[in-house]
Amino acid sequence: MNNYKVASYFDEMLQDENKPKPHYQRFHRLMEQYTEDELREKHETAQMNFLRQGITFTVYHEAVGTERTMPFDFIPIIIPTDKWAQIEKGMKQRVSALNAFLDDMYHDQEIIKDGLIPRELVETNPNYYHSQVGGLDIPLNNHIFLAGIDLIRDEQGEYRVLEDNLRNPSGMSYVFQNRYVMRQVYPELFFQHSIETLEHQLSMLHQSLLSHVPPNAIEPLAPTAVLLTPGMFNSAYYDHVFLAQQMGIELVEGRDLYVRDDKVFMKTIRGLRRVDIIYKRIDDDFMDPEAFWPDSELGVPGLLRAYQKGNVSILNGIGNGIADDKAMYAYVPDMIRYYLNEEPLIKNVPTYFLSDKAQRDEVLEKLDQLVVKNVGASGGYDLLIGPQASPEEREQFRHKIMENPAKYIAQPTIKLSRAPAFQGDDFYPCHVDLRVFVMGGKDSHVLPGGLSRVALKEGSLVVNSSQGGGGKDTWVLTEGEINHA
Amino acid sequence: MLSRVADSLYWMARNIERAETNARVLSVQLIHMLEVSEQHVSNRDWEEIIEISASLSDYYSGHDGIEREEVIHYLTQDRQNFNSISNCMIYARENAKATRDMIPDGLWEVLNQYYLEHTGESRFSSYQQAQHALQLTMQTSTTAQGIVESSMTRGVPYAFLKIGKWLERAEKTARILNVLCEKTLKEKQAANVSNYYYWLTALQQVNGYNAYIKEYPPTMKPEHVLSFIIDNRGFPRSIRYCIDHVMEAIHHLEDGKISHYSQQLFHTLATVQEEFTAAHIDDMSTEELMAFLDRFQNRCQEMSRLFSETYYLIDPVKIK
Repeated sequence: MNNYKVASYFDEMLQDENKPKPHYQRFHRLMEQYTEDELREKHETAQMNFLRQGITFTVYHEAVGTERTMPFDFIPIIIPTDKWAQIEKGMKQRVSALNAFLDDMYHDQEIIKDGLIPRELVETNPNYYHSQVGGLDIPLNNHIFLAGIDLIRDEQGEYRVLEDNLRNPSGMSYVFQNRYVMRQVYPELFFQHSIETLEHQLSMLHQSLLSHVPPNAIEPLAPTAVLLTPGMFNSAYYDHVFLAQQMGIELVEGRDLYVRDDKVFMKTIRGLRRVDIIYKRIDDDFMDPEAFWPDSELGVPGLLRAYQKGNVSILNGIGNGIADDKAMYAYVPDMIRYYLNEEPLIKNVPTYFLSDKAQRDEVLEKLDQLVVKNVGASGGYDLLIGPQASPEEREQFRHKIMENPAKYIAQPTIKLSRAPAFQGDDFYPCHVDLRVFVMGGKDSHVLPGGLSRVALKEGSLVVNSSQGGGGKDTWVLTEGEINHA
Repeated sequence: MLSRVADSLYWMARNIERAETNARVLSVQLIHMLEVSEQHVSNRDWEEIIEISASLSDYYSGHDGIEREEVIHYLTQDRQNFNSISNCMIYARENAKATRDMIPDGLWEVLNQYYLEHTGESRFSSYQQAQHALQLTMQTSTTAQGIVESSMTRGVPYAFLKIGKWLERAEKTARILNVLCEKTLKEKQAANVSNYYYWLTALQQVNGYNAYIKEYPPTMKPEHVLSFIIDNRGFPRSIRYCIDHVMEAIHHLEDGKISHYSQQLFHTLATVQEEFTAAHIDDMSTEELMAFLDRFQNRCQEMSRLFSETYYLIDPVKIK
C-alpha cells in the first residue's frame, strides 16, 4: 500500500499512511502477507465467481438491457462491537418513528395538525395514496417490513443517515453473496477474526414476513406467502430470486396471480391456490391497474380491493413513498422527537428546502459547494455534485431549481469517509457508504452489518451499482474481539 | 407449483435436448464430410440436415442456395433461426433464470457459463472450431442432465423437466427417421452399400450406434435398425422408451389416479402406446413406415398440447 494517501478524509482502515486503526490491525497484518500475484489472482477469481453464479443486475441503456455484476472489493468494512450497537439502536429508533409517521399519515394526521409537517408536503406527494389506503388498519400496524437505511460517515467519522428506503430496498442478496464469495476466495482472512454470522438472518426475515397475517386468513397459523416480482427483466431480479429461494416462498409475477371475490390466488398446475401475504417488489402504482396506473401489465387487477377487505397482506405497506422521499427526510428527526419523545441517535445530513426563498437564495449562491437532489429520484439520477460539476451543469440545475423549487433539496458536500480498495493493480482510497437492513414485524431486527457500497471510480462520490459502484463485505466484530487485536 | 414455472421447466428441458440433438446431427455430418471427399456431399445431404434441425422452408426464405459455411452458421449461431443451437441454449438459460428458485444452482451455472462463453462468438473459422463447439454443447447438455439426476428431488419440478425432455426426444427421433425414409425411397435403386451408410448415420444421429452393435452384431439390416430406434424398450432414445417414460412420469405426477382433468391426456398416451404395440415395424414398407412416423409426429403435437392444457401451462418466457 505504498502509494496510498489518507489525505483529509476519514479513513475506515487507517490512522495515517502507516498505521491501521485498532480494529483493522489484524486484517492489515494479514493483507500485507499477500504477494502482488496472489492479490491479482484472488481478485479475478472473486469477480468470476459472481458472473458464473449469475449474480447480476440489469442496466438499461436505450431500452437494451445488459447484465452486469457488481464489482466486488475484498477489503471489508469492519465495524467494532460498540459502534455497531449504537447504529443498531439508532436504526430501530428511526424505523419505528417512520412507521408511526406512516400510520399517522393514513389515519388522523396528528403531526400535521400539531404543525410539525406542512400539509402540502404530504398532499402533493405523488406517492400519497390516501384514497386507496387511508383509514385502513393493517396487520401489526406495521408498514415497514423491510427498510434499507443508507448511512455515510463524515470527516469526523460520525455516522449520518443519507437516505431512507421504505419501498423496495434492494441489495440484501449482495450482503450474503459478498460474504459467500469472500469465504470462498479469502478463507484465511476469517481464521483470526470473530464476526457476527449471517446464517440465521433469512429465517428471521421469514418469521417477520409470516407475522403479517391478514385478518381473514383461512389458516392464520400457516399462511401462504409469496414474493411479487416485476419479472426477470427487472434490474433487481437476482435479489428477488435470492430472497424467495432462501425464504422458501414462491416467486410470482403479476400474471401468476388472480383475484376472485376479493381474494388473491396464484395459478398453479393444480388450479388456484389462496395467497395470504404478498411481499411486493413492484412499485405501488404498478400494482393494480384498477386502482393505480391503468396501463400496468405487471400488476394484478383487484389486488387493492382484496387488501382493503383484509383478505391479503401487502408488504411493504402501500403508500410508504410519502415517508422516504428526500424532502420528508429532513423531518425525520422531528418525527423521532414527536412520536418517540427521544433525541435521534443517528443524525441526518443538514438539508436545505428550496421552496423556502431564503434557503433557496443561499443555495443558489453557493451551488459549487452543494449537492442538489431531485426529491423523487433515486439511483444517482438527476443529481448535481456542485464541486465536481461543470459551470454549464450548474447553470442547468439553477434553471431546474427556479422552475420547480419544491422538486429539489440541497445538502452540503460531506467529505464521505473512504476505505482502501484493490481492483487488480493497486490500493487506492474510495468513498463508501453503508445500507443497513431493518426488518419489522412482531419484533424489529437489524441485519448485522449490511451492504457496504463503494464508489470504485477514483474520486467518484456515486456508489450506486447502476453507475459503477461496487460492494464490500461488512464485518461486525463480536464482543471482546477488539481486545485480542 | 406455479403454472408459469412449470412451463418454463418443461421448455428448458426441451431446449437443452434440442440443442444437444442438433449438435450431434451436425457433428455426425461434419465427420461424414471428412470421410467421403467433399465433392460427394451433395446439397441434398445438407437439406436433410436442415430439415432435421430446423425448417428447410425457413432456411430458403433467407438464403438462395446451399453453401457449407452458411449452413453451419445457420444451424449453430444464427439468431434468425429459432432452432439454432445458440438460440436453444439462450432460451434454455432464460427458462432457467425464470425458475432459479426451483432448480439446482449447479444447473443454472452450467447453462449460464455456456451462455457467457459460447453464444456471443463470431463465425467459426475452421472445421475444428465448429466441431469443438458442437462437442461442448453436447457436454453441457449431459452435464445439465447429470446435475438434474444426481441432485433433484423426484417431485413435480423434476417430472416437468423429464416430460419435456422425453417428448422432445421422441419427436426428434421420429423426424430423423422420417427424413431417412424419404431418402431411401428416392434412392430405391441405389446399391446396398450406400444404404448401409444411411442406417449407420441414423444410429449415430440418435447416439445409438454402440448400443445397437451390442444387440445386433455386426449386421446392419434396416428392419433391425428401425425396430431398435423405434420400438426398443431399453434404449433411452427409442420412441417407445420416451413415450413409456412420459406415461410413467404423468402417472407419478397424478399419484396413479386418473382424474377428470387428466383423462384425455392419459387416453391419448395410452392410444399411442397401443399403436406401437399393434404396429409391426419389421413388416412395414417404407411408405407405410413414413405414414406411421407422420402420424406419430402429429400425436406428439397433440400430446404436447394436451399436456399444456391439463396443467394450465401458459406462454413460455417471452424473449426480448
